[in-house]
Amino acid sequence: MAIELTKGMGLLFMKVGVHARENLEDIIKRKQQEYDKAGMIFWGYGGNTCHPSKHVQPFVREFKKQGKEVMLVMQEINSNHFAEPKAAEEYSEDGINWQVVPKGIEVLGSRYALVLDRLELEGFDIGLQDMSVAIGPSRGRIASDYIQGHVDKGCFEFDPGSPPLKQNDVKHISLYARLKEPYAVHLK
Amino acid sequence: MKDFDLRAAINAISDVTQNRPQPLREFDQIYMKVADMVLQADFIARRFDGLDVVFIGDGDSIALSAYHLKTSNVIDYGPNSILVLDFDERIVKSIIRFAEKYGFADKVSSQLYNVADPLPSDLMHTRDAFYTNPPWGASNDGESVIAFMERGIEAVKEKSIGMLVIADAPDIPWTQSVLLDSQRIANDHGFLVAEMLPEQHFYHLDDAPDLKSCSCLFRRITPKIWNTESRKLDQVRFENFYGNNNPLKVRYVREQLTLNYGRAEEHTYRLESWGGKNGD
Repeated sequence: MAIELTKGMGLLFMKVGVHARENLEDIIKRKQQEYDKAGMIFWGYGGNTCHPSKHVQPFVREFKKQGKEVMLVMQEINSNHFAEPKAAEEYSEDGINWQVVPKGIEVLGSRYALVLDRLELEGFDIGLQDMSVAIGPSRGRIASDYIQGHVDKGCFEFDPGSPPLKQNDVKHISLYARLKEPYAVHLK
Repeated sequence: MKDFDLRAAINAISDVTQNRPQPLREFDQIYMKVADMVLQADFIARRFDGLDVVFIGDGDSIALSAYHLKTSNVIDYGPNSILVLDFDERIVKSIIRFAEKYGFADKVSSQLYNVADPLPSDLMHTRDAFYTNPPWGASNDGESVIAFMERGIEAVKEKSIGMLVIADAPDIPWTQSVLLDSQRIANDHGFLVAEMLPEQHFYHLDDAPDLKSCSCLFRRITPKIWNTESRKLDQVRFENFYGNNNPLKVRYVREQLTLNYGRAEEHTYRLESWGGKNGD
């Protein structure tokens, strides 16, 4: 596979919802068009477990400072996710200074977005027991214990070698991407 | 411990939570769950009975909760006066509005203040007790906890007590390390741990819903360190306040004026009439 998972690297694990109207290939095609037009991709998301300035930005910066790579890895799930069709008009790196969303980028119904430079469609498995939370109040917790209930994403450090703790610990990744500065933004 | 009318207590706390602004996650405004607020408010009302207390930050509204339990006659003990210092103008004004509405504005007040700034000179060593439930320092080795504690210590008299509420989970190493450091700082200032209620409170915390906090009550034996003047947080601590190279950027959160305090914001809904002459 094109992505090489190495011990100590950062992994931002997230689920990507697909449904009857748009499959993964269509999503990638649409998002890649964003890149062609704007030079970056905004990947919308919500929740507070990957807050742009509290979690994602310091997480990526710290890993990069240590010379470690950080990758977004996404597990494909079927979803009937209820997203409001309101498009974001402005984005901000710090929640203080706001700019108009670049022409060509469209994010609907999301408070935050990851900033990506390329999306790669590739399938491989990853074990939640091989990742631990890298930032925030649950720092150090094994992803296998962390990803449950309403917590479905997180910033992790990859540390392979442990056997799966639970039956459903192995997740199939369908999509990965490299993050681009400023890595994550607030939207409004 | 509980010997009050539970329904009356929860309803009093409900008045308080209804008054709070929505929390801002980026500043670790993560609210305590209501049942734990009731118990915590009762606990501090007992420990701070008759005292003049300063709160260094109070997004939870524990200060109002304790005082409101007393003025609602749910309990017959509580602080003599309360001053809440907070960098969020929404919180400051919501406290002032509440105190005015319930008629205890002479006893409960609030003012805008950021812990990175020196403590105002007119507040130095004026209170009997301090209370703080600061950002817990998961990413900054407890730096934020120490900064809030130090301001509390500056605000209290020689003979004083202080309460610190921070994360406490024996299986999460950073919480124990921060707790140890905070007790060490308290000791450096001449306080001992008079009481410790471990793993007490739950929060509306998305990424760690099981993480609880403790209440650590300090009592000063001797003022080992006694600052007569408060200083601005030094540059290194300022730059790493929210973690390595993650500085304090925001001095104050300012309130946007609205006519809808405590009501749904108009931009979040619109009204659609029946239409037509006969409503069809």
